[in-house]
Amino acid sequence: MKKLLSIRTYKPLLYFMAGIALMGGIWELISWYTKYEIPSPRMTWTVLKEVMQNPMQDDPDYKGIGTKLISSLTRVGIGFGLGSLLAIPIGLLMGSNKIVMNIINPMVQILRPVSPLAWFPLGLAFFQDSPKASIFMIFICSLWPTLINAAFGVSSIPQDHKNVGKAFGFSRWKYITRIMLPYSLPHILTGLRLSIGVAWMVIVAGEMLSGGIGLGYFVWEEGFNGGSVAKILVAIIIIGIVGLLLDMIFIGLQKRFTYAI
Amino acid sequence: MSNSTTIHTSATEKIKTVDEVLEPVLNPPPSIEIENVTVSFKTASGVYTAVKEISLTVRKGEIVTLIGHSGCGKSTLMGTISGMVKQSGGTVKANGKPVTKPGPDRGIVFQNYSLLPWLSVYRNIYEAVDAALKDKPSSFKHELAERNLKMVNLWAHKDKLPGHLSGGMKQRVAIARAFAINPSILLLDEPFGALDALTKSNMHVELLKLWNLDHREKTIVMVTHDIEEAIFLSDRVVVMNDGPAATIKEIVDVPLPRPRNKKTIVHDETYMAIHDKLMNLLIDKFSIDDIE
Repeated sequence: MKKLLSIRTYKPLLYFMAGIALMGGIWELISWYTKYEIPSPRMTWTVLKEVMQNPMQDDPDYKGIGTKLISSLTRVGIGFGLGSLLAIPIGLLMGSNKIVMNIINPMVQILRPVSPLAWFPLGLAFFQDSPKASIFMIFICSLWPTLINAAFGVSSIPQDHKNVGKAFGFSRWKYITRIMLPYSLPHILTGLRLSIGVAWMVIVAGEMLSGGIGLGYFVWEEGFNGGSVAKILVAIIIIGIVGLLLDMIFIGLQKRFTYAI
Repeated sequence: MSNSTTIHTSATEKIKTVDEVLEPVLNPPPSIEIENVTVSFKTASGVYTAVKEISLTVRKGEIVTLIGHSGCGKSTLMGTISGMVKQSGGTVKANGKPVTKPGPDRGIVFQNYSLLPWLSVYRNIYEAVDAALKDKPSSFKHELAERNLKMVNLWAHKDKLPGHLSGGMKQRVAIARAFAINPSILLLDEPFGALDALTKSNMHVELLKLWNLDHREKTIVMVTHDIEEAIFLSDRVVVMNDGPAATIKEIVDVPLPRPRNKKTIVHDETYMAIHDKLMNLLIDKFSIDDIE
């Protein structure tokens, strides 16, 4: 108890602050070097506060930053959700059956390296609707990491665990729910974590192409076209923090469902 | 027909009936019959024969250990009894029936506990009982899980995950799980191999206690490479040759009276003689002088 307030408790926080300070210093230096063509942290902060006023504003002519964020998150949520819903069962099937693996794997290996942006025009041609094309793009790029990790999880179930099922005559259902799924869950979560990371990265690019309401379009329209580099920086900060939070959710889930043997 | 013939016939019949009743008691049917069993595996470099033409019969209630060097095929041989390994030749019968797959009449304890790490201690036992005894009512299965967990004194830990238990406790859970399905044959594959010497010694006594509680009716086959363990527990020790194509080198009887006492048994002359014999069968280097 007496150590509760020692320096040790605050160490991680101190390191974090040092990192932020270092980043701020480099930033400051760059702005100074570019003669404030790139705004300094202080200037960006002012713009951030401005942008943050009425974040949930939802007028037809102007949307607040929060509304834009939610719009982007919704697209990511739908695309990622649908992608995962498809990727998890297929991955599990691939992991448990060699034939399925051999049939689907070449397809995955060919499609996986394709840049998510290449799917956008295809989605646009198919749906004739740019927000749907963005969701389609997110959907496609959310598939691969989850699919591959789920398949890997199932195919790496230790013989010991399989033996338990065999020795006590587990039914197929019991095997799936008591051995296969619990064992592969941490792997599936790793896949989901990678997928959401990619999805969040891709949505910004997608919205730049598609326009409409969202953070990507904010960067392009209000930042670049509007001539406000500070707004671009603000968007980068928001995108970064939200990405970190999404990642932390999945780290938390991974911790929750990882078991010591 | 004369009267005496009738009497005679009925007397013979009576004797026959008595014989039929007494037969299984006086001459219990073998619990495990292994006949001419060969196990071969296909590997990248050709066919590998693990055990070759092994025959062994184990009586009901007998404790038999298979001992030999690592990789001599003792686990493989036991796998044919449990049904986890398919023999390529010969027959294996458990309780008179040919073994084709694992069944609830045979309980298995694996070397590395093999508990499911995401299930609590209780669920580990319950799920196994539930799967093995499908047709029994759920209340009966819960009762079995509870009784067996109490038997190994782990009821207080029933809600813990296996990762939070010590090695000895994990192995007790694994043993409780095997006992819970109430098998007539118990197959232990190096069950205490991962435990420290002190825990191991306790587990030996606990295992024999469980066997005793059950009126010594369960047949136990155990794989080990621990000579002291083999003698303390078994009625017979089966010494195996080194693989590949391992065979039985010799079967050593252990006519020590039960219950056995860990402390005094080691001073028993018979024990010492058996110990010496097993050492000679298994070990060829006893001092630095034996190394060429």
